[in-house]
Amino acid sequence: MAATTTTSRFDVRAVVRRELAPRKRWQNIYGYLFLTPWLIGFLGLFIGPGVTSIYLSLTKYDVLSAPEFIGFANYVKMFTDDPLFWPSIWRTAYYAGVGVPLGVLGSMFLSILLNNKIRALPAYRTLFFMPSLVPIVASVVLWKWLLNDDFGIVNQGLRNLGIMDPPGWFGDRRWAIPSLIMMGLWQGIGGTRMIIFLAGLQGIPEELYEAASIDGASAWSKLWNVTIPLLTPTIFFNMILGIIGGLQTFTAAFVATEGGPGFATWFFSLHLYKQAFDYWNMGYAAALAWFFAVIIVSLTVWQMRLSSRWVFYYGG
Amino acid sequence: MAATYDTPSAQLAPVTVKRPGPSHLGKILTYIVLTVGGLIFAFPLFWTVSSSLQTWQELRSFTLHFLPEVPQWANYAKVFDAVPFARWMANSFLLVAIAVPGTIITASLTAYAFARFDFFGKNVWFILMLGTMMIPTQVTLIPQYILFFKLKLINTYVPLTIGAWLGGGAFMIFLLRQFIMSIPRDLDEAAVIDGASPFTVLWKVLLPLMKPALTTVAILEFMNIWNEFFAPFIYLNRILLYPAAVGMRIFQGIPLENTEPRDHLLMAAAAIMTLPVILLFIVAQRYFIQGVVLSGLKI
Repeated sequence: MAATTTTSRFDVRAVVRRELAPRKRWQNIYGYLFLTPWLIGFLGLFIGPGVTSIYLSLTKYDVLSAPEFIGFANYVKMFTDDPLFWPSIWRTAYYAGVGVPLGVLGSMFLSILLNNKIRALPAYRTLFFMPSLVPIVASVVLWKWLLNDDFGIVNQGLRNLGIMDPPGWFGDRRWAIPSLIMMGLWQGIGGTRMIIFLAGLQGIPEELYEAASIDGASAWSKLWNVTIPLLTPTIFFNMILGIIGGLQTFTAAFVATEGGPGFATWFFSLHLYKQAFDYWNMGYAAALAWFFAVIIVSLTVWQMRLSSRWVFYYGG
Repeated sequence: MAATYDTPSAQLAPVTVKRPGPSHLGKILTYIVLTVGGLIFAFPLFWTVSSSLQTWQELRSFTLHFLPEVPQWANYAKVFDAVPFARWMANSFLLVAIAVPGTIITASLTAYAFARFDFFGKNVWFILMLGTMMIPTQVTLIPQYILFFKLKLINTYVPLTIGAWLGGGAFMIFLLRQFIMSIPRDLDEAAVIDGASPFTVLWKVLLPLMKPALTTVAILEFMNIWNEFFAPFIYLNRILLYPAAVGMRIFQGIPLENTEPRDHLLMAAAAIMTLPVILLFIVAQRYFIQGVVLSGLKI
């Protein structure tokens, strides 16, 4: 996809040369004219606050009194003197590390099934797409009811199947994150990501399947040797976006469990929120945010590097 | 780089199926997996509606009721009595009404600049814009909060909607830019030769062709705003200003000591809150799927 090609195959010299080349004046005038609204937002709501938060991360600041410069103390504190820092990172990694790959692969396999010539296709697609339309907060309320310890249909069903001691789901330290993952899969598998996979499937040239048929390939081998390799750019794209989003998960955990039970769903974004808005440690929260940004950007860059080993661009 | 333009019908093809299906057995398996999976996916929605129509005694008995004995339509009215849910829904609609036009207008303008003009620093800006997608929102959160706090904009909708009027976010801009790049430049050039200004080209030539992409952006922005929990939660602290997403959490969080169990009412509220999104999707789904497929999200 264009975004990834521009960033991964980025030739600095060519860009500089192009940028310095003379261009028509009206191209500049109109270009910047149309760019203005975004540019104001970019500078005012992104660059400005981003730079400010670097500064704040070096201070002690509670909004009411002026920020007090303390150097790197906040960064030292997070690694040495914050008992919830590492647990929140591992919980976030668990949630995203399990939930995102399952979600992406789930969407991929579903899209492959839905790309067949079958009856009532629109009905099936709608069925799988519907959960992604449910607002997250409504979805949390619904899942807390489905997974209610005593009266939820899941546990009632499990008891009827003879499992007399079913999990406590959101109320159970071991099951709280799996419950959130389950809810995320229900919402995510059939949603926009699946449609992106359908688009990717439709972009696979028909000749490849014909050639495979002539060679006597089975449907199974076509799946493994044609479909999946040609879907790798789509998998890559969805993994990148999925991980960036998954690591930032807040609403589901906050509304479902508020980080509980016993800090079991105390994700990094929740930790940051509590520091900022419950304890008003704005400086410390800014430091946490920048640490988080570095992690996410490094992970993304690392995935892009790694992508040349497994992502296959057909004809590109 | 971007999706190349062949004919519109060739690009619309994605929504229809073109490939010969698998063997007989494979087909039967496909049906079984899809049907079972589809039922599992649909069940929670069915369960929301069914639970919302039962009495709390039915819900809290140890025998399963898949359907209510007598549908309790009054539960829906009770939601509006228990909490200011009508007000919260109206607030959500108001936020949507402010944000969606903003995103459509300013994201189109930005996308137009990136797709059609060759201005100084364009590639740098473009890469910076894509880079914003990588940076977690928490990085700008605190200074933004302090900024809006100092500007006395807490408890207003400005912090919640201003972004929509300043570009609408990198993802939307990227989506529209890809779409514009798939429209042949000849169309613009023909209009320019006829004396059209760049504004006219955007307004008269491009925007009409961008309908599927704009609908996609509108739906996505509607859903973003409707779903948004965090920003209204931190920027608003008056109950009557809350949108439905935040109100829902308040409703869920009211302690049970003095009231009867209200799972049925919560399910009714969840259904009420979901309905507008589903209606919107039904109305616009044809455009929506085309938009996602066409907008160079084709990878």
